[in-house]
Order: sequence, then C-alpha cells, then structure tokens
Amino acid sequence: MTPAERLNPDSARPSHDFSFIANFCLPFLRNAQNADGGWGFQPESQSRVEPSCWAISALQSIGNTPHSGEIVERGRRFLRAAQIADGSWAASAEATTGCWVTSLACLVLASDPQAKQPVAAGLSWLCDDWPRDSSPFRRLLGRFSSERKISAQNDTYRGWGWTPRTSSWVEPTSFALLALARTPEEALPKLGARRRELGRRMLYDRMCPGGGWNCGNPMVYGVAGEPLIVPTVWALLALRTDPGRREFAASLDWLERNIENARGAGSLALARMCLEVCGRKWPATATALADLYSRNEFLHSIPVAAWICLAMSKQEAWLVNCTREIC
Amino acid sequence: MRRAEIALIPSFQRSTSRVAIRRTTSYEQDLAAVLYETLCEFALPVKDKTVLLKPNFVGLDPLGVMNTHPGVIAAARESFLRLGAAQVLIGDGPAMDRDTEAIIESVRLREFTGPLGRTFVDLNVDDVKRVALSTRASRLKELYLPKTVLGVDFLVSMPKLKTHHWAGVTLSLKNMFGIVPGSCYGWPKNVLHWAGIDRSILDINAAARPDFAIVDGILGMEGNGPIQGTPKPCGILVLGDDPVAVDATCCRAMGLRPEKVKYLAAAGTLLGHLNTMKIQQLGETVASVRTPFTVLDAFQSLREPDDGVWN
Repeated sequence: MTPAERLNPDSARPSHDFSFIANFCLPFLRNAQNADGGWGFQPESQSRVEPSCWAISALQSIGNTPHSGEIVERGRRFLRAAQIADGSWAASAEATTGCWVTSLACLVLASDPQAKQPVAAGLSWLCDDWPRDSSPFRRLLGRFSSERKISAQNDTYRGWGWTPRTSSWVEPTSFALLALARTPEEALPKLGARRRELGRRMLYDRMCPGGGWNCGNPMVYGVAGEPLIVPTVWALLALRTDPGRREFAASLDWLERNIENARGAGSLALARMCLEVCGRKWPATATALADLYSRNEFLHSIPVAAWICLAMSKQEAWLVNCTREIC
Repeated sequence: MRRAEIALIPSFQRSTSRVAIRRTTSYEQDLAAVLYETLCEFALPVKDKTVLLKPNFVGLDPLGVMNTHPGVIAAARESFLRLGAAQVLIGDGPAMDRDTEAIIESVRLREFTGPLGRTFVDLNVDDVKRVALSTRASRLKELYLPKTVLGVDFLVSMPKLKTHHWAGVTLSLKNMFGIVPGSCYGWPKNVLHWAGIDRSILDINAAARPDFAIVDGILGMEGNGPIQGTPKPCGILVLGDDPVAVDATCCRAMGLRPEKVKYLAAAGTLLGHLNTMKIQQLGETVASVRTPFTVLDAFQSLREPDDGVWN
C-alpha cells in the first residue's frame, strides 16, 4: 500500500491536512528521532517511552519513505532496551520504577515479532499492579470514613493508576485495556480476563453524568464533573467493543457535540481519530488541523504530530488485534 | 541557575520578608504599570537573567475564575523584561487535562502575550531531572522535576487567590504542584495525594522554592475550589519576595488564619515567614482589603473569629 493510500481520502477533510501531514508532521517526526532511536516530547529532548510510542505508531501507520521501516525498527529497539527488569517501562530514562507507559509500550510492541517476551512480561506486570485505593482493606476502611460521601464511586471496580499502587484513573485504565485487547486470549496473563472486566466496569462507573469522561472524578461533593475530550477518546477506544451500550453511545454523542469546543490540536486530532474508528463521520465544518499550527506551533509536541498522523490514517492496526473487530 | 540550598532557612535566621498589596479593581486596568512600579520597590536581581513565570492553569475556564488571568501574566512578563531580564518564560503543568495547548487557548493567553511557541513551556512534558528530597516531609524520597524549572535563574509563582477542597487554600506554595510533570506522575499527579498533599507541598517547595510570588486576587474563588467554587471579587494583587509570607498575607485578606492551614504552619518554620512581625507590609493594609471567603465545612476552623482583624 502506498503512503497516499494509507491516508483516508474518503472522509470529509480539507485536502490541505493531507499535505500538512506529508510536508510537516512526518518530516517533523522523522527528524526528531534521537540517536538512541527514541523520541522526546519535543525535538532535541530526552528520549522517553511515551512520545516514542506515539511516533512509532504514527510512522507505522503512514510512514512514507523507504527509510520508515528502519526508523521504526530503531524506535522499537529503543523501547525494547528501555524495559525494566520487572517487565515494566518507566516514564523517564533515570527512573527505576515502572508506570502507566508500560501499557503504551505493550500496545506498540505487540506488532513487533522480536518483542513477544517483553510484551508478555509487560502485560504480566500490568495485571499484577492493583490500585491501592480499592483494596479490600481500604474498602472496609472507606465505609467508616468521613470522606465516603465526597465521591460516590464503586471501588469494587478496579482499573489502573498512573503510578503503581495508587488509584484507578480513566486514562491509564483505558491504555491498559487497549494493550490487553491487542493480545490474543490464549496469550493473556493469568489475571488478564478478570482485570479487563474490572477495568471496563470501572470506566463505566466513572463516566460523567450525560456521557464522556474526565480524569476519573464524575462527581465531587455532589457536583458533576465536566467531561474532557482526551480521556473521553481513550475510554471510548478502550470500550469500543460495546458500541450498542447506552453509555457508549451517549459518550460518543458527547464527543461529537464537543468537537467545536476543542481548542488544542491534540484534542482535535484525538477526537477525529476516535470518531472515525467508531464509525462516525468527521464534520466537514470542523477546524482543519493544519490551521492550528500557526497559533503555537503545537508547542513542538511530538505526541500531537503523531496523533494528527494517526487521525488521518486509514489503518487502525495499531489499535486492534487481528482477531478483533472494530466497531 | 537557581541555588536550591537557599530554600531552607530557619525562620529566626531569615531576614524580614516584604509583601505588597496593590488594590486593582479590574483586569482592564493598566496592570503592567501597577506591577512594574511595585516590582521596582523590591529591587529584584533579574537583570540579564532568565525568569520563569509559573501561573496556575487548572482547566477550561469560560468564567475566567479558575486560572491566573492572562492579563496579569502578560503584565508580569512585560515588567520583568523592563527590569532587564534576558528572557521571560511562562510555564505550567496543568493537573487534570493533558491538552495544555487547549487550556492556554481557553484562557486566551496568546491574545495577551503573542504566539507562545517559543515562550511557553509545558512543564508536564519537559525534560526531567531526578531531585532527591532532603526535607522528606512526605514519604517521597525523590521527585523528577522539569529541567526548565531547575535551570532558570528566577522563579515566580503566580497563583489565583482560591480556596481548595483538600488543602484549605491554594496560593503560591500549592501552585508549585504544577511543576511536577504529568508525563511522570499522570493527570492528576495522584502520587502526591498518596504522599499527603500538605507534606508534598513542603517537599516540592523545598526542592524548588519560588524566588517571588504574584497572586492574582482581582477575581478569586471561594467555597469548593479550586475548580467548582464560586467567583469572589477581591480587587487585589499580592506580591512578595517570600512565598510563605505572601500566602499568609493572602489568607489574612481572605479572612482565614494561616497558622491553621497545615502546610503553611509547617512552611513557616523553614521556608519563609508566617508571623506578621517578620513581614514588612507595602501598599495597602490587610485590614483595608479584607474580604472573608466562604470555605467548605471541613475548613471552618481556618476562619478568623468575626472580630479578628489584621492590620
């Protein structure tokens, strides 16, 4: 498939977004790769796991030079080398404790034939990392706590935290579910199926009234929290096998209604990616991503450039296992 | 480069702090003139230096009540440049939403400062450096902090005057939560909650104590802050060379007792002055601008008695 074919020309999109990707985003990503094969959050910054994952995903989806394969392989090598002995990945090179980026590394390396063992170790680490806030002992204590009325969440539904042994939050739970979804059932860790189900329930439990998600606080002191685009996108992608569920549809509706309120290029790119993966049409009147560049140059963000590429890509292979259907 | 060791000095060895209160009734005023005139009184060592302004950007804020107002930030930037700073950066790492560009666009920062591509630093995704925490007020032994924060010559905390549903108040010390990078700790920075908010505030400020504070109290927030509270017009800007003294002064202006705010009481021993006897007051008196804030039930003990008036 040619690079042009990997972009999705069927949708209602201003054509200059395509040239923007070809002329800016892809060269930006390719040129920002560090000597160690990784990417920082901006060009010439420290290689980190998260931006490397997004850059690799984008280049895999719509890489357009003969060197793309080489760049991606160097990126994968960086990721494989960055794994910690316990199977996790840390947020920065100096750190010695793994965290939420483990899900992203597993998600990206799932398609790497040389990474079967690292991915298995990463998923195993994920499934063994339980949030501390919802342990049976904490839940018992919580019944007597004066703070039990602050938020009315069901702590028997347990997802994942940003850092080990803390609290469940929407985005890390979504990333973990996406990583587990790329793994064939037979290759899941022992606790995989149970963790996946608890994580799914936790996401629905934390949905904001009326649809959509914020970081994971739908109600605080009886006041409804406002949904945000980024966590809503990740939660919807993680739950996309439930397209018929009322909460899923309400959240997708919320996202569609709020495209016009997306003020950042990152939010807009992710919203576009999510709506199209979930089968909704991208509105022809939506702001062109290319038009947003002149405002703040995307704050030179590697993830944003990568998300724009992914949003315009025809391929959702980075999200799905070949055995699964997307909605 | 800032010197971290100057953060911790016992109060009895610390020289008197200076705090200025300027009455500023609206954001339409010439804020740059007000700030420049006040900053001149402090004779700050910023000539040819790199200054980082650290505002409080919490989230999308259509009412303009949650985040530090862009007019105040732009005025501070202009003032520091007039004072001879070589470069004035603006940086924050919002806690709840990782789309920082969406937040700075929603607060209209670019309209006041011009394009931000080279001026704004998203501290959530900046390069990081491991910092061992010498204070160990919380259970955290170390934090990964943004290299920009650690590398600038002069750090200015620029919070909004607000109540906070976990910490009581959020001012220049609590505002420093925003330097802790989300790329390492998430959105929100939940590890700090587990380590204890009050204690984490102390550790963070000991590791990267602001050199100066400018509090946007023109329009504050009371009640269930820092996000879901109620707008509270106060009409003041509070500036000072000691973030503890500035926060204590703000509390008094809010009708709250700083020594009852856990983290402030502790900060008053090593990070700055809480005691009015050690704070030289410039500009308006506290009594003349005092505007009692409502607080959640859990924080009623912070309130001054009805007849409690500071001067």
